[in-house]
Amino acid sequence: MGEFEVHRVRFFGLVPAGVRCLACHPRGSRLALARTDGAVEVYNFAANYFQEKVIPGHELRTVESLCWAAGDRLFGAGLSGDITEYDLSGLSAARGVDGGGGPIWSMVANSTGTQLAIGCEDGSVKIFQVVPGGIQFERNLDRRKGRVLCLSWHPSDTHIVAGSIDFFRVIDVTSGQTVQRIMVNHHVEKAKRECVVWAISLLSSGTVVSADSFGRVQFWDWEQGTLAESHTVSTSAALSLAVSEKEDSIIVGTSTGATYQLQLLPVTLGGQEKRWVRTKPFQFHSHDVRAVAHSPTALISGGLDAQLVIRPLMEKIQKKSYDAALRKFTFPHRRLVSCARKARLLLFQFSQYLELWRLGSTEETGKDGEVLPLCQMPEHLVQLKSKGPEHIYCSCVSPCGTWVGYSTASRFHLYRVHCDGDGVSLRKVPKVPKLLPPAYQLQFSADSDSLFVASARGSVHVFQLLEPGGCKHLHTLRPPSGVEGRCLPFLPRGSAQGGCVAEVSAVVPSVHCPLLQHHCTVPTYNCAVSALAIHPSTNNLVIAYSDQQLLEFSIPEKQYTSWSRAVQSRGLHRAWLERDSPITHITFNPKNPSHILLHDTYLLCVLDKSLPLPDDSTLLMNQSTLKQLPETARKRQLHAFKICKKFQPLLFMDLLDENCLVVVERPIMDFKTQLPLPVQQKKFGT
Amino acid sequence: MVAPGALRVVRCGGSALRGARAVFSADSKYLLYVSGDFVKVYSVNTEETLRLMGGHADLVTGIQLNPHNHMQLYSCSLDGTIKLWDFMDGIPIKTFTVGTKLLALYTLASAEDSVFAVIPKKDTFQLVSVTLTKGAGQDLEGKELSVVLDGVGASMKHIAFGREGAYVVSVKDVDLQVYFFKRKLLNRFSLSTTKTKGGDNRFSCVVCHPKEDCIATGHADGKIRLWRNFHDKKEYTYSTLHWHHDIVMDLAFSIEGTRLLSGGVESVLVQWHNESSCQKDFLPRLGSPIEYISMSSDGDLCCTLHTDNRISIINSNLRFSRSIQGLIKSRDVKTGLVVDPRTKALVLNGEPGHLQFYSLQSDQQLFSLDIVQRQYIHQAGLKQSDLVKVAFSAQGTWLATVEESEEVTDPELQLKLWFYNEEIQSFELNTRINTPHDNHITDMCFRDMDELGDDSLILVTTGRDCVFKVWVMVEDTDPEGDVSWSCDFVGSYHNYQATNCCFSEDGSLLAVSFEETVTVWDSLTWDLKCTFCHPPGNIRNICFGRLTCSKYIIGATDYGFLCCWNLLTCALEWSAQLNVVVLQPDPLSEYIAAISWLSKESSLFVFKPNEPLPVYIQRNLCKDKILLAAFVPRDEPEITSSEKYPWLRKSQLFFLTDTQELMTLSTKSLEERLTPSSKQLAVEESLPVTPFSLLLGKHRHQQAQEDTDLGKLVVHNKQKQASPAVKELLHTPAHVLPSASFLCTIFINSLLISKEKKSAEEVADEVEMESEKAEDDSDEEDITAMEQEDTSHMELLGEMTCKLSKSQEKELRKIRKMDYSWISAL
Repeated sequence: MGEFEVHRVRFFGLVPAGVRCLACHPRGSRLALARTDGAVEVYNFAANYFQEKVIPGHELRTVESLCWAAGDRLFGAGLSGDITEYDLSGLSAARGVDGGGGPIWSMVANSTGTQLAIGCEDGSVKIFQVVPGGIQFERNLDRRKGRVLCLSWHPSDTHIVAGSIDFFRVIDVTSGQTVQRIMVNHHVEKAKRECVVWAISLLSSGTVVSADSFGRVQFWDWEQGTLAESHTVSTSAALSLAVSEKEDSIIVGTSTGATYQLQLLPVTLGGQEKRWVRTKPFQFHSHDVRAVAHSPTALISGGLDAQLVIRPLMEKIQKKSYDAALRKFTFPHRRLVSCARKARLLLFQFSQYLELWRLGSTEETGKDGEVLPLCQMPEHLVQLKSKGPEHIYCSCVSPCGTWVGYSTASRFHLYRVHCDGDGVSLRKVPKVPKLLPPAYQLQFSADSDSLFVASARGSVHVFQLLEPGGCKHLHTLRPPSGVEGRCLPFLPRGSAQGGCVAEVSAVVPSVHCPLLQHHCTVPTYNCAVSALAIHPSTNNLVIAYSDQQLLEFSIPEKQYTSWSRAVQSRGLHRAWLERDSPITHITFNPKNPSHILLHDTYLLCVLDKSLPLPDDSTLLMNQSTLKQLPETARKRQLHAFKICKKFQPLLFMDLLDENCLVVVERPIMDFKTQLPLPVQQKKFGT
Repeated sequence: MVAPGALRVVRCGGSALRGARAVFSADSKYLLYVSGDFVKVYSVNTEETLRLMGGHADLVTGIQLNPHNHMQLYSCSLDGTIKLWDFMDGIPIKTFTVGTKLLALYTLASAEDSVFAVIPKKDTFQLVSVTLTKGAGQDLEGKELSVVLDGVGASMKHIAFGREGAYVVSVKDVDLQVYFFKRKLLNRFSLSTTKTKGGDNRFSCVVCHPKEDCIATGHADGKIRLWRNFHDKKEYTYSTLHWHHDIVMDLAFSIEGTRLLSGGVESVLVQWHNESSCQKDFLPRLGSPIEYISMSSDGDLCCTLHTDNRISIINSNLRFSRSIQGLIKSRDVKTGLVVDPRTKALVLNGEPGHLQFYSLQSDQQLFSLDIVQRQYIHQAGLKQSDLVKVAFSAQGTWLATVEESEEVTDPELQLKLWFYNEEIQSFELNTRINTPHDNHITDMCFRDMDELGDDSLILVTTGRDCVFKVWVMVEDTDPEGDVSWSCDFVGSYHNYQATNCCFSEDGSLLAVSFEETVTVWDSLTWDLKCTFCHPPGNIRNICFGRLTCSKYIIGATDYGFLCCWNLLTCALEWSAQLNVVVLQPDPLSEYIAAISWLSKESSLFVFKPNEPLPVYIQRNLCKDKILLAAFVPRDEPEITSSEKYPWLRKSQLFFLTDTQELMTLSTKSLEERLTPSSKQLAVEESLPVTPFSLLLGKHRHQQAQEDTDLGKLVVHNKQKQASPAVKELLHTPAHVLPSASFLCTIFINSLLISKEKKSAEEVADEVEMESEKAEDDSDEEDITAMEQEDTSHMELLGEMTCKLSKSQEKELRKIRKMDYSWISAL
């Protein structure tokens, strides 16, 4: 594998924001997720649940509810009272439309996706028409006192059920009148606490399912106003529920972090009479499960502990494949860390600020596995707060450590870092040329004299950095005209000689490499790119796709390399293909051109192209067994994938020099301690 | 058949009640449970054991009511037979011989003439359906077996039949099999074997919902899973209930299936409502781990069988109702069998940390004395304190107990002395001595001297710390003048471990054995008087002779020798080679019982110390190893057996096997031991109540009485006497019979009424005697006749009898009480 001196960094205090709501695309291919900080993410189920798009949040824009409407349009509504449409190709939020009823607690689209209903603080339910380019207010439904916390359309769009505190009501959409009002806890003697209906669903049979703060899931016949069944699933509140499309299964999320599945099962085998039965409990979360979704093959839950959990339903899955395993996502599928190799600085990106750290150093040497004592502790140099309410899209530090750039939704900022002795000063570079915001990625060239900014419509702007602190727009690289406007640029790492830039469109999955000398297009592949890098000496482009495929493309020859073809014909190892998280970063070892270093959240891999590829019968993670083998046997067992799982969860890895690595970890326990205390539960034996 | 007067080994308590789930009779008046080789019938109302149904030659492994006749019971046993009983009368109706070991029994209402049983097949077990052939006669073959399921578990808890017998479920390890009878479909479901997060998915028991298609399974990690949709191999689903922290021992659904009861080692019965994990009720502190749970058919009662041979009956509102407890089974009887001089009860380890007082006469626990006084926590690997030694003073006023923690190297010892308080009728703690010895206490005895009073009371303890200690009572200095105990003398001998101690009958001498040596000490001056030894081999038991033999001291070595030393001559009187396990002197006579264990059989030797030849030898006393024995003084000396067995006259010998079955030696036959009252009661209650039978029964009864009044008894009697001659005549094969002319006279004579030539007085005497005998005989005859009648009634009227409602029965009883003597006049 090769020995490295590793800087094991654990001072990146990232606390991912909790999951607030989920929305499954009606066709089941995508999942929209909103976090408590207002960020919206889109996951693509087809591409191994890859986090395809991230729209950073905004201080004033909390998202309480998300829904897909009119095909692929995504709408969000929140306590600001606005309904916002998200531009998924431009990764930005369009200007909101005021709902007109105070804070919006919930929003749902009807079955055809032509109308949106919102439930507001003032107790009104309003209907908006989805029109091209925006939404239009249609009408108000019957308004009653009490905030509307949850809404659900009948599948035939004739009725809406609205849940409030202590009651829910059923509204006829055509007349706009409340046709039934049901108190959810009228039978509870002397109910002192109010009973909040946190989630509600109206089934096609006319059954209303409600989840309330008493931990009950109740089934009501709304026409008669009677309670059909009541399941107390938890001692604390049931916060969310989702019904499968066939209406035979329900998932309920509770504030203890447990989720429960309820299934409609026949009372006797083959009999007609069916009953809802609480079947499987799942305890994946430690905190409130605020959002659940039910895809045809999986139960999806998101909690305030920032985890997104996809629990496949084994009985719905025909063959054992990638989908048959439990998936948990806590960390973003992109880099939040950049590294100044020469200056040994790390730049950490948080939602509203950046932190610049200097790595510690040691003078000792030791054997494999030894922890070396530090002679100089890592040092927090500076914290750079972003101006305004917008959150940061991307950031970068130059390899020499003297330039720091970041971008928000509307502005791009460039700073000059002066390190003189102990003092560090930041100076904003004046007169940065106005660009079409936002910038999705920033990349400094290896010699730190130019900056590449990936921007909207696939264009890449090239700036020349001038001493002592200035910059000049050199030119703009544009993708071929056919794909313009539909692609997101994606900057490769490791581009060395000045202006080597690749960009990738995520919508049309092909890679364009508008180099200064070369310009070529990598053949189309039907999966999103998760990382790419250009080898500094050979100019080979290495691409990692979200379905875990690896390709190597020779830019000078404008074709796949022979190694890449060999990989394609042999196929990658099954264990490699079934990994959880996508490759987020690729880098190269300048000493050994056949080595490619890559990592995802759980492993660090040194890919040695000179060694044979493993087949399915051999062990993929064989480093520990290799260590025990004698020298001769070890030679025979060697294969190209040298995997290290020592550092978990791994957020960033880079090569500082030939034999020095830096890894950035964020232990789950570290960030769990920064979350608020979970609901107190008695645990046996404690 | 055992000849009258011969000694028989009789089980008198402690048999494992855990062979199978108990069964309630259809009217919930009786509880039927398995006790070793027997099935016992217990009246729920009177808390009395009504009937003991014996007949199986090995452990009974399953009992089930006959679904077609609720007065009948099927039982199966390891001896390979299935018996059909009329449990009200305790009569075996039929015996079906299957031929292989039967491990569990199930009956189904839908299966007309077959039952299901589990039989071994090589290393695994099979569920088979046994066709019960219809035929006359008692002993029938039941060899028509058809395999239903292969690879099932051996316990009856591992198989359950579903709603209306539509399917059968079997669990084993982590696999669940469901077989649908109609569709002939077998579904298998497996749980993962990995033990993640302390979970252990192995199944421990299974039951089926009575009304819905739902299977409840218990698991080794305390989870209960409720399976549904199990007809589909993919879409099956289950929910989980989890409260138990350790294995779920048994489950039971209520009659409507709305409640589920579960029990385990926590000794808590948990009631789950509506399969919801949030609604549950508990009945805690049931004393010991729950092994089986069963429900009565009306859902009113449920009963739990515990691992320590206790049965608790519990109301439907989860209130403890009553318990049946005989000899409580403890994990290890360390105290030995001790007799409480006050109550004559047998005293030994009971519940953990408790001392049980077991009444031999009533087969009931008198009371349980908490010695350790600490909460017992069921947890594997936890070191608990337990009671190891017990001694009573002669009058039973003082009780000494020793408890120690289970640690081997550094035991935490406590010696407690308890005084019997007449007012509260219980023992009160008087003195607690921490660490009386530095190592395990091996033996302990009081100096029992009735005549000398309290001052002479001395307690001696021997320990592995190579000393024996003498404890005496001292007056407390406080004004109340209480007494407490303190150490008076510490003796040792060559730094050997002290193993046994005992006082001579008059209390003047104390014998303490130190490994290989027996030392005799003067109890007044504590001088070492003399020593005996019989090398090689350590002394295992010692005792003094009594009464006429008080000059002898008996010792048994672990090298297989029994030695008798004369204290006057200080010489070995005799020795015998015998591997003595138990040496037990009778406190009331000079006899000493020694039980040996050699090549898997226990033998009993009774001897007097002054004679080297034993008085009584019984080889192969029982199959199990006998661990302990005790002579229990009789309330009044027994006369019947006194000639043959003088050593049984004043006391009765009881012994305890390693399976904790209490046995005794008895000259009485089995029938005699059953209390006739309860028998009669059962007969009364089991009469098929029809208007006709009541009428007829009353009439017959009256007629019989009239007959006796008329003095026709003599004739009856003669007939009875004659019948053997006729019987002999008819049963002897023709070719060995003498000529007809010779037989003719005998035959004719037998029919004649013989003329007596005795004096009138004598005749009257004899008649009286004979009439007594005749009455006995006829009584017996009557019973058997009635029983036979009953069974035939049962078979014919079985359906009808159960359909009679309570009000109807009342009506019938009213009719019965009316006077129908006028009918006879007609």
